[in-house]
Amino acid sequence: MNAATGLSADPAEAVLPDVTDLNRPFWDGCAAHELRLQACRPCGHIRYPISEVCPRCLSADYDWRPMSGDGEILTWVVFQRGYQPTWAPLVPYNVVLVQLAEGPRMFGNVLPLGRTDLRIGMPLRVAFEDARGGVTVPRWTTVSEGSAVA
Amino acid sequence: MAWRQAAIAGVGASRQGKLPDETPLSLATEAFRAALDDAGISKDEVDGLLTMPGTSSPEGAKHYLAVGEHLGINPRYTGSMSMGGATAGALIQNAAMAIATGMASVVACVFADTARSHGSRFDAAAGRGDSWGIWGMFGNAANSALGARRHMELYGTTSEQLGWVAVNGRRNASMNPAAIMRDPMTIEDHQASKMIVEPLHLLDCCIISDGGVVVIVTSPERAADLRKPPVLLWGMGQGHTLQNLEAPEWWYLPHQADCISRAYRMAGVGPADIDVAQLYDNFTIAVLFWLEHAGFVGVGESGPFVEGATRIGLGGELPVNTAGGNLSESYMQGWLHVVEGVRQIRGESGDRQVADAELCLVTGRGMTLNTSSCLVLGR
Repeated sequence: MNAATGLSADPAEAVLPDVTDLNRPFWDGCAAHELRLQACRPCGHIRYPISEVCPRCLSADYDWRPMSGDGEILTWVVFQRGYQPTWAPLVPYNVVLVQLAEGPRMFGNVLPLGRTDLRIGMPLRVAFEDARGGVTVPRWTTVSEGSAVA
Repeated sequence: MAWRQAAIAGVGASRQGKLPDETPLSLATEAFRAALDDAGISKDEVDGLLTMPGTSSPEGAKHYLAVGEHLGINPRYTGSMSMGGATAGALIQNAAMAIATGMASVVACVFADTARSHGSRFDAAAGRGDSWGIWGMFGNAANSALGARRHMELYGTTSEQLGWVAVNGRRNASMNPAAIMRDPMTIEDHQASKMIVEPLHLLDCCIISDGGVVVIVTSPERAADLRKPPVLLWGMGQGHTLQNLEAPEWWYLPHQADCISRAYRMAGVGPADIDVAQLYDNFTIAVLFWLEHAGFVGVGESGPFVEGATRIGLGGELPVNTAGGNLSESYMQGWLHVVEGVRQIRGESGDRQVADAELCLVTGRGMTLNTSSCLVLGR
């Protein structure tokens, strides 16, 4: 059991990412506590979801670029119904749609998962949850507004 | 100048509800018989077949083969399409284009599903290989809840306002003998119903049901000789955001506004010309978004517009989902919205009839909110 989230660390119980050759650098980045996304070499577009080619210019040439780890809440919900065995014991838990400082958007959770005092526009900072079935998952913490983010 | 180069000549629905002894094909057959009878046309005249596989149909993109074999149709134009709740409109559009080009003369558009009895799940994790499930993001309700939350925080929309959409649907369903959910519902019932994914309550969510619907499309000339008054396709539109997370305003589904403005342009009409609207309501928030996207109200103004369910109620300035919709009539993924639109234009909706309904907007959306289609129906 992970202390921060209450999620099971047992791979048999956890909902784990489907790690492939394509997305492995993302998960390796998480393991190193760095949020890395694909940046297109020819056009510079930073993209998410992870994909083979740039959806803007169709180039397959890209770098894995470290992100700042800063973002804000674009929108958020609270699950009161458990749809899946790993998550059912954790209701109510939040899911946020994060607007990253660099442009892309991705889903995540604000820690602790039971936090429900959220608002759109709240500044977030990425946090990494280790040892969940051997995979490190990016989640988020709120940053008090006005405070400098190093 | 409205397009009006194809017409809906017949609509038919099977029984709706929990029908454990039925299959998608048996329900499609029941609906097909009803649609043929409604049009007063022989099966032998049907030379086009377009189908939408239901959640319980295993055939996928080959669904038309199973339906054609079962119904005994060897068409000159066919195919299957899966765009979720946008499929009904999109298939009718394909049928209309086939009619207008002469590729077919009478097209049957077929949908049936046994989602209720088959135990179809609508709660899978969405997303791709790096699945959203690792963040606990499951199910269709959550996608709509995301939009509802942001709309609430930006514009002050309330859960109670969403509730009025559900109350409106139930009130209309109570006047529809074919509707599944006909017991009265109050705004208090809505507020007291359990939370599913905040800010959506159980009564913000559509029901899951078994049933089938068939819509028959032909030329305006052929339709004029058939049993019922033709309902002409004045305008048709589609709009899609297939990228979801890559699109900055995906949560608000701006493609739906494009979809409807395209149909308005084709019909040569605007929101003020629409007398009645059948707006795809997988969740109550969907109706609020449609009201804005269709230009009935400005951005952010839909909450006050639905309050009290007076303006969207029968006798109001824009009656919405007059048969009960996905929320209370039956979850036929928008196909019954088309049926009710046709009946309103024909003047067949009985106690639910909107006086002098000349133009009806019918909308549909689906696939994690990525797709949308709409029809402007008239005489």
